[in-house]
Amino acid sequence: MRRIDNSPMQNNAGSMPRRTPYYLLALTLLLAASMAVLIVRPVTVHGSSLAVDPGPRPLPAAAGNFYSTLSANQNAITTRLTQIFTEVNFVAGGPLVKTVGLGPRFNSNSCSSCHAYPAVGGSSPPNNPLFGIYQLQGATNTMPYFVTSNGPVIVARFPYKSDGVTPDGGVHQMFTISNRSDAPGCTTMAQPDFTTAQQTNNIIFRQTTPTFGTGLMELIQESDIIANMNSNLSLKQSLGITGHPNYSDDDGTISRFGWKAQNKSLLYFAGEAYTVEEGVSDEAFPSENDESIAGCLPPFNVPPGTNKTKGVPDDRNDTGEAPKAPVNFPSDLERFSLFMKFLAPPTPVAPTTSTSNGLVQFNAIGCNLCHTNSFTTPASSIAALSKVQANLYSDLLVHDMGPGDADNVQQGNATGDQFRTAPLWGIGQRYFFMHDGRTSDIVQAIEDHRSSGNATYPNSEANTVINNFDALSQQNQQDLVNFLRSL
Amino acid sequence: MSSPEKMNQSNSQWKWTRVVVPTVLLLAICTAASAYFPKGAKTGTNTSRAALQANVALPPGVTATDPGPRPLPANAGSFISTLSANEQQIEPSITTEFNRTHDVLVTSPVDGGLGPRFNENSCASCHNYPAVGGSSPPSNPLFSIYNYNGATNTMPFFISSSGPILEARFINQPGTTIADGSVHQNFVITGRSDATGCNIAQPDFNTASSQGNLVLRQVIPTYGDGLIEVIRNSDIVANMNANLPQKTKFKITGHPNYSGNDGSIQRFGWKAQIRSTLLMAAQQMNVEMGVTNETFPNEVDQTPGCVLNPVPETVTNFTPGILTEMFPDDRARDEYFTQWLAPPTPAKTTTSTQNGKVQFQSAGCIFCHTQSFKTPATSRPALSSTTINLYSDLLVHHMGPGLADGLPQGQAGPDEFRTAPLWGIGQRLWFMHDGRTNNIVTAIEDHLSNANGKYPASEASQSVNSFNNLSSKNQQDLVNFLRSL
Repeated sequence: MRRIDNSPMQNNAGSMPRRTPYYLLALTLLLAASMAVLIVRPVTVHGSSLAVDPGPRPLPAAAGNFYSTLSANQNAITTRLTQIFTEVNFVAGGPLVKTVGLGPRFNSNSCSSCHAYPAVGGSSPPNNPLFGIYQLQGATNTMPYFVTSNGPVIVARFPYKSDGVTPDGGVHQMFTISNRSDAPGCTTMAQPDFTTAQQTNNIIFRQTTPTFGTGLMELIQESDIIANMNSNLSLKQSLGITGHPNYSDDDGTISRFGWKAQNKSLLYFAGEAYTVEEGVSDEAFPSENDESIAGCLPPFNVPPGTNKTKGVPDDRNDTGEAPKAPVNFPSDLERFSLFMKFLAPPTPVAPTTSTSNGLVQFNAIGCNLCHTNSFTTPASSIAALSKVQANLYSDLLVHDMGPGDADNVQQGNATGDQFRTAPLWGIGQRYFFMHDGRTSDIVQAIEDHRSSGNATYPNSEANTVINNFDALSQQNQQDLVNFLRSL
Repeated sequence: MSSPEKMNQSNSQWKWTRVVVPTVLLLAICTAASAYFPKGAKTGTNTSRAALQANVALPPGVTATDPGPRPLPANAGSFISTLSANEQQIEPSITTEFNRTHDVLVTSPVDGGLGPRFNENSCASCHNYPAVGGSSPPSNPLFSIYNYNGATNTMPFFISSSGPILEARFINQPGTTIADGSVHQNFVITGRSDATGCNIAQPDFNTASSQGNLVLRQVIPTYGDGLIEVIRNSDIVANMNANLPQKTKFKITGHPNYSGNDGSIQRFGWKAQIRSTLLMAAQQMNVEMGVTNETFPNEVDQTPGCVLNPVPETVTNFTPGILTEMFPDDRARDEYFTQWLAPPTPAKTTTSTQNGKVQFQSAGCIFCHTQSFKTPATSRPALSSTTINLYSDLLVHHMGPGLADGLPQGQAGPDEFRTAPLWGIGQRLWFMHDGRTNNIVTAIEDHLSNANGKYPASEASQSVNSFNNLSSKNQQDLVNFLRSL
């Protein structure tokens, strides 16, 4: 056969020999760097820090309330919004026509199981809720090796496809609806092969991000984010801090949500999460998340009168079916978005001498150059969100965080080692830190911001700041940690 | 199933970083030889439609003539007839919204929000022909919009009164080598009586054009979109993998443009860069009209004095009791308008069009312009289990240097475009992504483009050669078939 000059096969064949040495080189350097880090890294858990994490502040939750300034009409629907956010979805059946459409693949069966602590809308609770979900209704899932009963709720992504070269980056849901009693006919959909992914070092994790105050975050003006990025430049330069926005492909504005700032808005995020995390297809993303097995797709063959979806999208605005009632309109997707929009930011504790000094230290060593204390929202059509100072402690930019945090997943303008500056409001009651929930110790989390560059990724932009932290007196370090736990 | 959030961008960026060094060297060498490159839409003053048309001469042996668009009445623009009684009740409301002319200032929950930058002031002004929801009309509506209400816009050079509605994208951010790709709106609200205090300038299209940085795209009709968005990904992939020996013979490949969000296949836009009617309606409201909404709540230009409304400008209506009667916001109404429009109705078959369809298949057109898909079971019965004759595989394909616009979007490369659905082209006035021709025979020939140093040959080249080798009668029948759709 005559070979076609521009055939993809030949292109691949041609590029492989060039690519392989780079990979071996990179791998070798990575290994060398890792060994160096292991050797150089102090044995103390906290680097050279002397501070101790006082732990999360106990309940009651200092978050989870709706804005007190919502209009009467907005307030009137908050109860229903909470119901929808906390609804448990079934494949079919269940108590309501609104609570069907789970799967075929899913990480959880309700928003609030993961967005749980310290109040509905938050992040991982101390006891992992997935253990109450994975075998519900007779499902035959096994628990992935990386999920522990007292660990964070995390989702898995594979950086590369099975060839180890082609970027993947997508979420691979932990569970399937196989053999659930409410999914008659679905018996053979297998869970992803996480063990092989682990053995080939092709799995990364992301934990749940809290949603309190996100209605303010989505309204912050792009011009304010850019102005803040361009402020204190000489100081930032001296500390090695740069950072840049992750822009939306759709309208060119700055996206703000997710560990890499890859999601533009709460509505966009809700649309994505409903189908990715729960497998409930919706009007933004109207496909089931696995179409490979006919028996695992709606409509399911359940007894007449049983609640079920007729097909895709599982969730949509009720525009046609009688009885048309306010509770069925709008869609879950719209309700989730409104729920998050109406949730007020966490309330910090009253300052003490220690936390006041902690804030001074936080600013003095340069934490605030990424963890920007506050933005003010512009005039908004939702009065409760209008011209409000949001003390989120984030610049909403993405920054290089070094090989130690890098997860090799590129999302939009955020590369494999870049992450959005995580907003710190509410961390006083948070259990797990960093994108993968690797630690529950906030001092360790500070130290985890430091990472020396290697052949693949540059230094973490936080390195000098963390060195500054380590150089603080024990008292100042502890005050800074106490300040963080006051948020 | 994998769901690579934003992988669409990252894939391409990954590739770009790996090839950037050799590419820069190659580009440096090629710059000197650039006079030999075919002039695409992005190339300097040749961007004007007239110049592009003038470049195209039909090869010898191509004798077919375009009978032109079928005259009105429109064979499109009706809602799907099987919508439920309750759905039909709100058809007037969503039609009103799609037709609404937006001014700048928001004075009620359903109007206003235009700008600061915009291409037009209503959905229906561009989605217009042969009926509301369609594409460019014969007389360009932008001429009655650009100076409306005192606006001091000048008309960009690439817009003509009898030409298609076009919007501009820049390949790179002006004056830099940083990738841009976003829409640079034709107009601003500066000077309008309802935009006092706003003083921003239109983009510098002339410079962009002279630097080869300007890309133009025309309006896509929305008929049948509600059916397109629910086609199963697995059916699209199965069709991609069908007839491989014939496709290989025709040198046709093609691949999906996957959503970075949930890993499903995107279907809308010239490069299949948009997933759903919801996201399309939301994006278009902000990008084309500047109306911020709950999906895109930030103005695209925030110059002080130009953000004249609280954001987002259209929001869920919280009036008590209204939720049963009204949609949450304008975005949802625009979404449903496009979602519920039925596909165009083709003309009755004739002996000529019947033979034309046979020729369309034998020339290989059918391997990208897949005749039909069937929708799966859907939660909206009117869209459920319906066979739709869209004539598209919903994949993106290399179209060669002649069509390449230099602009990657997700997994669609700078020379790749979605197979344009052909339903409704019997009444369409402008063809190809940049509306370069109104002659459907020229449009066929524009699919042929040989490789150059930058891009591979068009995947359609073999098929167009097959068309060119048909007898005069068979060519004409094929063209007549297309004009019957």
